[in-house]
Amino acid sequence: MSTASPVKTTAVSAEGVWKAYGTGEAQVVALRDVSVQFASGAFTAIMGPSGSGKSTLMHCLAGLDTTDRGTVHIGDTPVTGLSDKALTKLRRDKIGFIFQQFNLLPTLTAEENITLPAAIAGAKADPDWIKKIIHTLDLTDRLSHKPTELSGGQQQRVACARALASRPEVVFADEPTGNLDTRSGAEVLRFLRTSVDEFGQTIVMVTHDPSAAAYADRVVFLADGQIVEDMTEPTADKVIDKMKHFEELVAAAQEAAA
Amino acid sequence: MLRATLKGMAARKARLILTSLAVVLGSAFIAAALVLTASIRATVDDLSGDAYKGADVIVQPVEPENRGDRLVRDGVAAETLAAIEANGDVADVSTTVTWMVNALGEDGKIVGGFAPTMAVNWGDESVEREMREGRAPEADGEVAVSAQFVTESGLGLGDTVTAYSLSTDETPYEIVGVYGYAGGRDSLSGSTELAFTTTEAQRLVFGGEDVYSAVAVTAADGVDADELLKALEPAVGAESEAITHQAYVDDLNAESAEVTSVIGYFLLGFGLIAVFVSVFLIANTFSIVIAGRLKEIAMMRAIGAGRGQIIRSVLAEAGLLGAAAAAVGAGLGVAAGAGLTSVIANGFLDTATTSVAIPWSAPLAAVAVGLGVTVLSALVPAVRASKTPPVEAMREAVKADKPITGITVTGLVVTLLGAAGIILGLNETFGSDDANLIAAAVGAGVVFIGVALLTAWLSKPVVALLGAVWSWSFAGRLGRLNASRNPRRTAVTAAALMIGVTLVTATATLLTSVKESLAERFDTTIKAELFVTGPVTASVPATFDPEVMDEIRAVDGVEAAVDLYYDLAQIDGTEQYVNASSDIEGAVTQFGGVVAEGSMKDLGEGEIAANDAAAEQLGIGIGDTVTATFSRGTEAHEFTLVAIIADNEESDGFYVDPAYTAEFYTPKPNMALVDVADGADVGDVTAEVEDLIADQPSVSVQNHEEYLSQVTVFFDYAIIAIQLLLALAMIVAVIGVVNTLVLSVLERTRELGMLRAIGMTRGQTTRMVTVESVTIALFGALLGIGTGLLLGWIVQQALAPTGIESFAIPTALIAAYLAASVLVGLLAAIAPAVRASKVDILGAISYE
Ligand SMILES: Nc1ncnc2c1ncn2[C@@H]1O[C@H](COP(=O)(O)OP(=O)(O)OP(=O)(O)O)[C@@H](O)[C@H]1O
Ligand SMILES: [Mg+2]
Repeated sequence: MSTASPVKTTAVSAEGVWKAYGTGEAQVVALRDVSVQFASGAFTAIMGPSGSGKSTLMHCLAGLDTTDRGTVHIGDTPVTGLSDKALTKLRRDKIGFIFQQFNLLPTLTAEENITLPAAIAGAKADPDWIKKIIHTLDLTDRLSHKPTELSGGQQQRVACARALASRPEVVFADEPTGNLDTRSGAEVLRFLRTSVDEFGQTIVMVTHDPSAAAYADRVVFLADGQIVEDMTEPTADKVIDKMKHFEELVAAAQEAAA
Repeated sequence: MLRATLKGMAARKARLILTSLAVVLGSAFIAAALVLTASIRATVDDLSGDAYKGADVIVQPVEPENRGDRLVRDGVAAETLAAIEANGDVADVSTTVTWMVNALGEDGKIVGGFAPTMAVNWGDESVEREMREGRAPEADGEVAVSAQFVTESGLGLGDTVTAYSLSTDETPYEIVGVYGYAGGRDSLSGSTELAFTTTEAQRLVFGGEDVYSAVAVTAADGVDADELLKALEPAVGAESEAITHQAYVDDLNAESAEVTSVIGYFLLGFGLIAVFVSVFLIANTFSIVIAGRLKEIAMMRAIGAGRGQIIRSVLAEAGLLGAAAAAVGAGLGVAAGAGLTSVIANGFLDTATTSVAIPWSAPLAAVAVGLGVTVLSALVPAVRASKTPPVEAMREAVKADKPITGITVTGLVVTLLGAAGIILGLNETFGSDDANLIAAAVGAGVVFIGVALLTAWLSKPVVALLGAVWSWSFAGRLGRLNASRNPRRTAVTAAALMIGVTLVTATATLLTSVKESLAERFDTTIKAELFVTGPVTASVPATFDPEVMDEIRAVDGVEAAVDLYYDLAQIDGTEQYVNASSDIEGAVTQFGGVVAEGSMKDLGEGEIAANDAAAEQLGIGIGDTVTATFSRGTEAHEFTLVAIIADNEESDGFYVDPAYTAEFYTPKPNMALVDVADGADVGDVTAEVEDLIADQPSVSVQNHEEYLSQVTVFFDYAIIAIQLLLALAMIVAVIGVVNTLVLSVLERTRELGMLRAIGMTRGQTTRMVTVESVTIALFGALLGIGTGLLLGWIVQQALAPTGIESFAIPTALIAAYLAASVLVGLLAAIAPAVRASKVDILGAISYE
């Protein structure tokens, strides 16, 4: 996982992914023919209106949900068609997760929560690496606390540390700052940025917030289950601007589909 | 509000079904107990109504006061019979001659175990007999036998059966007929029967006297039972009494009613224990369900719902659930009670027909208890729910545990109060023994409740300790942490399990201690190594020929051998054991007795020796006179007390000269004590003595252990019976474990989804839930065993002055319970673990 590599490898890729819920009249097509690559060592944000399929895409990429058609790869590993056991192992070894909430086990201390994936795998987490993350996240004097004794922002920082603890190939975050105030949110985002810059981590983050998206290297816009825009070097203003024209984008996409 | 309640219930079907199962079981047990009791009583009443059917008046000997079943019976004299037959108001007379006999089966052993073998005269019409094969006995050497006797003895038509009684020696009889009873039954109440000619029956029962056990009289046309009774009065005389058939049946019914109501209370008691256990389960379920709905409740409070409304909505749910479950339980219970009645009636009472009686009290009590318990159990959670502050709606999802200080302090206070009662009782602070015993017993009960309250506080350390066993697996560690996560919940679940285990352990500990005390005292006081004696359940007490004694004494390695005769006699109006031996001093020595006062040398005619407890009971001292009447004695004898034997629990009562044994219940020796010489091989001596008594069917050679096990086998049955009766309470407790786990898994759906998302396998999830389950079950069992041992010890200490001096731990039973609790934990985990491992990850982690 070196940023020095001149050729950027692909950490996650989706090829012609379709996903629909329900059948007949009530059928909702959440993803239509989505193809997208996420480069190693890059921070990508996924944006789009509510119901556009952001979470669905992320779940399919992370092997939490199956696709109807199309293939998904994590690194060289094809995700599509894996058994539950293999998927579980894949998630455990190659993927990190940060959810909007309910990230931590209330029975464990912050430190135990951070090393939870390694413990589940029956492995020992790399102590130097853990120390480094904890230091970066400024959690050193919170390690022996239980989640109930931590603020929402601190809880989310612990979740970040846990996601990075096993050096996964990719970290998926679904609105990690959705429940936080601006300052706590900024701390989390700054850390995600740092982990990309300093540790070469790959991050895919779903967000509604243009200023959160601004921390990313690239923003992928989804609308009605399709990718409608791919923006590099985003700024909050550029994103807001794009969102203003969203209606037009959706209409254009639908026209193109028809 | 009711609509919201109903909708909420519909959405939580699974947990409602589990919860109601406890109520259903509890109510069903109560209904079944009441129906069973009433039905057995009705069936037994029918049975007594069948006795002497068709007779109007029964004439029977007057039972002397204070004479139990072990005593030789009197009969209705032949002259009385003749006078009755001569009476003009009498249409028909039937005579009965019956008492217990011993008969030897094909294998030469005495037939029958707990149910006796009876001899009757074939002419007896007190019950309806139906000849199946062969014919009635016509000569004194002939016998007809009941079908049950054929089954148990292995003998059949044409074979020869050997029978003997108190008054006859072993006599061979030819089996000329096999009969059954009305309704195609093989037996009456499980007993076996031999029918002889009337003269032979009289020889067996009354030693050949021409007397009868009972005379059933039918009135001539136009004479009713009361008139007949009056008419017979002069004929009956002083030694017999006449009663109407109705009065006879009423007497029998009153006797059986006493027994059946005791059985009924017993069953009800265990039913109530099961109901008590279900209180824990129901309260826990409502607490958990409400905990899961705190946000909803807070939201309702925030939009203006009053506290009363919250309480009412929870109680309405409990009421609906309780009413439905109790109704189902009552129905099931009534059906089960009716079904069990026929099983018991056919299996044990051998009745042709069973009467099922369904008293109104059965369904009513079941519904009332089920409903009441459910609503009461929901009350505490309901009140707690109503205290939810509206701000709770805005709080974070992850919450700290509620403090358990209140309940812990209460538990400590209660435990200390109980302990105080025990200490005061054990130290004999109160005036009377009874008061001390009551103080200790009540204290023990209070400690039990106190410990139950302390479970929440105990759960943390004990679960952590148990967890040390599981910490090798990370999933196991998570499961252990989950078990101690909500101490209140774990405690209530474990406490439900604890109740049953405590009761079983306490009774088993006490009974084992009693056994141990008996054995210890027996081994230390009794010198003889071997006993020649028979089973305590034989119809006629075991006896053997006195001549064998000399042969036993001649056996190599026998230091001493003494014979012993015993009888239950009337001494100064009280029932007392009287012993006799051809070597009284030797017998007393073998029993570990010491003459404390006076001398037993040459105990002769008119002289008696007493154990000091017996002497104390009668308030007599050396030189005082007592009057004694022996079982077969027709007149009282005067005795002078010449010796007092220091208190010895093994030999009871009095000693007299063997000359009086002719008047004893059995005139032959009942037991021999064989003292094996030091250095001689006990096994060899046993074998030789066995050879010597081979032709004495009623006795065998037993060592201390074998002899005691005859007495203590009852305790083993008692432990098994109590376990069976507690099975229901245990089942309810197990349902409680399942319920708690299912609810906890539901409550932790998100957490499980998160764990699965970050890579926990299904297997690990299953292991996590299983460890939590086993930990809770083991915790409950450990608590129960601990409390049970403590209670057992307290009662043993309280009873120590009565001779229960040793404290013994039923280790095998405890080990079995620990193993069973692990098994229960594993089984209870199956459904919740499967549920947890199948958690829909996406559904769990999606924001609501
Ligand atoms: N389990 C499901 N069953 C049926 N429809 C679903 C399910 N999950 C998602 N959908 C539908 O699929 C579409 C995409 O949903 P998705 O959750 O991916 O949207 P999203 O972009 O994450 O929205 P939001 O920003 O609100 O989180 C929506 O129309 C949603 O209603
Ligand atoms: Mg979403």
